[in-house]
Amino acid sequence: VTPLPSSTLNPRDTGIEWPLWTAVLGLMILGAAFIFSATGTQELARNTHWLNFTATRQVFAYILGAGVVAAIALVDYGRLARWSLVAYWLSILLLVAVYAFGASRHGARRWLDLGPIQFQPSEFAKLAFLFALANFLSRPAGELQSRALFVKALAMAALPFVLILKQPDLGSALVFLPMALAMMLVAGVPRRFLVRLLGGVGFVVVLILVDVLFAPPGWRFIKLEEYQRRRLLVYFNVDFAPRGASPEERQRARLLQRDTSLNVEQALISVGSGGIAGKGWRQGTQHRLGYLPRLGAHNDFIFSVIAEEKGFLGSLTVLGLYGVVLFSGIKIAGQARDRLGRLLAVGVVTLLFTHVFVNIGMNIRLMPVTGIPLPLLSAGGTSVLCSLVALGILQNVHLYRRRY
Amino acid sequence: MLILDQLNKGERALRLLAWMVAGCLLVLLAGLARVQVLARHRFELSQQTQSYRTVRVPALRGKILDRDGRVLVENAPRYRLDVFLEDLSRDFTKEYNRLRRELLTARGAGAGPEPGLFQRLASKFRRKKAPTLISPQETEMLWRQARYQVVSNVVAQVATRVGMPLTLTEADLHRHWSRSRALPLSVLRRLTPQQVALLTEQSWAMRGVSLELQPARSYPHGSLGVHMLGYLTRADDFEDDEDEGAFDYRLRDYRGASGIEAAFDSALRGVAGAKSLLVNSAGYRVGETPVTDPQAGQNVVTTLDLPLQSIAEKALSTVNGDERGAVVVMDVRNGDVLAAASAPAFDPAEWIDGITRERWTNYYDVPKRTPLLNRVTQGRYAPGSTFKIVTALGALERGLDPDATYRVEPNPANPVKGAYFLGRQKIGDTAPPGDYDFRRAFIRSSNSYFIDQGLKMGFDRLLETAHRFHFGERTQIQLRPKEETTGDMPEPGDAKAERWPLGKLANFSIGQEVTVTPLQMAVMISAVANGGTVFYPRLVDRLETGDPLSDAAPDRVRPGQIRSRLDTRAEHLALLRAVMRDDVLDDEGTGKAARVKDFQVCGKTGTAEIKGNGFKDKVTWFASFGPYESPRYAIIVMVESGGSGGGTCAPVARQIYEFIRDRAASPGRAVAINP
Repeated sequence: VTPLPSSTLNPRDTGIEWPLWTAVLGLMILGAAFIFSATGTQELARNTHWLNFTATRQVFAYILGAGVVAAIALVDYGRLARWSLVAYWLSILLLVAVYAFGASRHGARRWLDLGPIQFQPSEFAKLAFLFALANFLSRPAGELQSRALFVKALAMAALPFVLILKQPDLGSALVFLPMALAMMLVAGVPRRFLVRLLGGVGFVVVLILVDVLFAPPGWRFIKLEEYQRRRLLVYFNVDFAPRGASPEERQRARLLQRDTSLNVEQALISVGSGGIAGKGWRQGTQHRLGYLPRLGAHNDFIFSVIAEEKGFLGSLTVLGLYGVVLFSGIKIAGQARDRLGRLLAVGVVTLLFTHVFVNIGMNIRLMPVTGIPLPLLSAGGTSVLCSLVALGILQNVHLYRRRY
Repeated sequence: MLILDQLNKGERALRLLAWMVAGCLLVLLAGLARVQVLARHRFELSQQTQSYRTVRVPALRGKILDRDGRVLVENAPRYRLDVFLEDLSRDFTKEYNRLRRELLTARGAGAGPEPGLFQRLASKFRRKKAPTLISPQETEMLWRQARYQVVSNVVAQVATRVGMPLTLTEADLHRHWSRSRALPLSVLRRLTPQQVALLTEQSWAMRGVSLELQPARSYPHGSLGVHMLGYLTRADDFEDDEDEGAFDYRLRDYRGASGIEAAFDSALRGVAGAKSLLVNSAGYRVGETPVTDPQAGQNVVTTLDLPLQSIAEKALSTVNGDERGAVVVMDVRNGDVLAAASAPAFDPAEWIDGITRERWTNYYDVPKRTPLLNRVTQGRYAPGSTFKIVTALGALERGLDPDATYRVEPNPANPVKGAYFLGRQKIGDTAPPGDYDFRRAFIRSSNSYFIDQGLKMGFDRLLETAHRFHFGERTQIQLRPKEETTGDMPEPGDAKAERWPLGKLANFSIGQEVTVTPLQMAVMISAVANGGTVFYPRLVDRLETGDPLSDAAPDRVRPGQIRSRLDTRAEHLALLRAVMRDDVLDDEGTGKAARVKDFQVCGKTGTAEIKGNGFKDKVTWFASFGPYESPRYAIIVMVESGGSGGGTCAPVARQIYEFIRDRAASPGRAVAINP
């Protein structure tokens, strides 16, 4: 155990990043309150024991997460980083395990069933990758110019990416891309590599999209799950019916399109009908009447619930709190004592930011629907723990910034 | 930015990152502002459209009362058994899951335990996934089946309790489920008090089922006055309503189909209210809030006199029990319709739930019977000898000397009877040959005498006299115009009628060739009785608010509205009244069967002959008023296919006059009606 650094320079400085943790506490309170709003009525009606309420479980996850944060703070991130490769390969192993005998829910195999608790290895994989890549990239600037190293870094990202894509969990897989890019950018990998990477990715994405959206069935080389394809069609507003379809086919396609776009539409109606001030806590009708999917209201679509019940002001509050968290993270990155610390902080910021942007964007149809949770607000133990671990890493970087 | 300033100058990458984060957060902010601020009304609207349904709630229909406030038609509470689908939705899911498992077991898949690790690993190597075992169509059918199982179970339990078979088909349920899921499904509409008692006494509570109280039209006197009061039919379309705009659902409502119910439909119906149902995404009701309360309809107070109406119908039914005819009782002083009966009648209650085709063909759609026909206002009948009153008035005005005699020749074919010879044409008479003055001609109803007068008077003059009583025009009683006929009377100056041959004019003089309604006849007799005033008949006295707490002034119809005056000398009318009295009083008179002790009835009989293609029928009349000294009641009795006016109709009138006499003698005593 590393002794905590004595704050000799400023005796009042405890080393805790107060704005960050105040915002985190705010998000936790919002999370618990609105998860209760989304699930409480039904659970009360069903006479669920209060300990089994989704909101209660979320609070336990927060408490557990806080403990983990404290534990992480005890060990210097430099020391933690030595275990990064082990963690990385462990996460790969877990992803393979999921592929082999994970629990299947709603057509996707994303969870490991460990008796009483269920665990989502892709969340852990993000953190392990974060550590591993930060560790890998924290080397003298000269070495970073090498193409071989760039390719190796890419390969590190590609392995979990492909495994998670296979689950299938497109959203979680795509998070690896901005993380890798941001960390390499900050580490000092030559811009041309990154621009080329970005260009290549863009080109491939366009190819994939064209293939998925417009190719006739026989010409689809990209094997997406049918529901993924439909979500993309909805997002890009492409007619479901193929050209030259018979009226019955067209009719069926239209029904399918309506069903698929239902979630998106309903999320949008929730957010929009909240208006400026919202309908009030537990007064939202969209989730209570089941227009927002019951299974998603408290996790993937929790933002819709907040936006409906607290309106634009509520949305502003949520965005503000995330803004404080993210900019605190960037500040911590700037003040980190070494490249490892900075890369870790940048990775955490990118990870959280991607989640926030994709999830909120999905609620207002800026982004296609993917199963990406909103950090700290969405119900779900694994997501909360991983978000808090990520924030713990930030705190760790902050705490040990003066140990040269 | 404060945070950015703290970064090292060299940290361009971090700066870039910070700007990107800030930029993306601003994009989110802009997106949210667009959805939540700029477009919020649109989304509020779509949120409301999808989660609210407006339901039209009919108002309590007004009552119909007689002139003294006695109930003729009202609303009675009726119990109904409703099934609330939303309370059963969880059972639907349970049943669906059970059916699905059964189906899967039957197909030999999915029933076993979760596949083990080995099978799952092995399945990775098989290229094809197991095919979906249940198609979407089958799923839909399973849901339908599951819902029907649950609901019919509930219904069957109720059925055994009330001890009667309840039938609910899957199609019924599916129709209700797909069209009006948010509304309760009525499984039993008319619960008897015994059934209600059975359901309530066993401290009965069953999920998803409840007893609902609802007002239903009630006819305490059965078919009494049904032609004037009218009946109701289901109102499923609201095309005639102007502001009955966008409702998703309408609760069952009724509309007046005839009589006062139809003519005063909008007043009786009141103003429908609205309630708004909150529905969940499955379309089931979650809650409801009233939007506007319905305003109860107004009560219609008629001029009808319940005991009189009752006795009039009873008296008419003494003809032979299966008669077709009409009775009108009118107050000669103001034209108020006190009773109006038409036979055969029908039960208005059976129209509430709609009548069966069988009932329609066997009862309603029978030639000549036509129970729906209001014979008082819609029947067109040759007035026969009753029209001699008109001929007589015309003749008197022309200067007929009542004491001058006229000789009636015997009928060669039947020397006991007289006949009138018009050229080579012979018109038979029911009166014997001999000398007739005006009085004798009237009370013996001599055809020859009045034909002679008619021919002397000429067509124009006779027609003009008839038109002064407004024959050939609607009386404008307060029913819908289509429920009243004008009768057949040539217009003044009708070129075709001008060229009638003398034979036709001769027939016209004794009430053939033209038709009138019993109500028109009542108006005519009233005018003779009251000294020359032709009234608009009045059926409705006032509209009252149905709310007992309200003190809003009733909407009154002015009584005694004068249509015209006969403009004739009083002595002519006095003479007519006198001979009408003698027709009843004199033992030689045709109307002596209407004679009432202590009550001077005045009348004129009529027996019109109708000859058509191969059939011969009679319309018999007794047109009367009384008492002679101070005329008050005009009573018209008309019976189709009767024997004769004096034999068939006069006794009917007599019974009514007796009732009137008895009632006047004991004004305080309650009169038993409908024994």
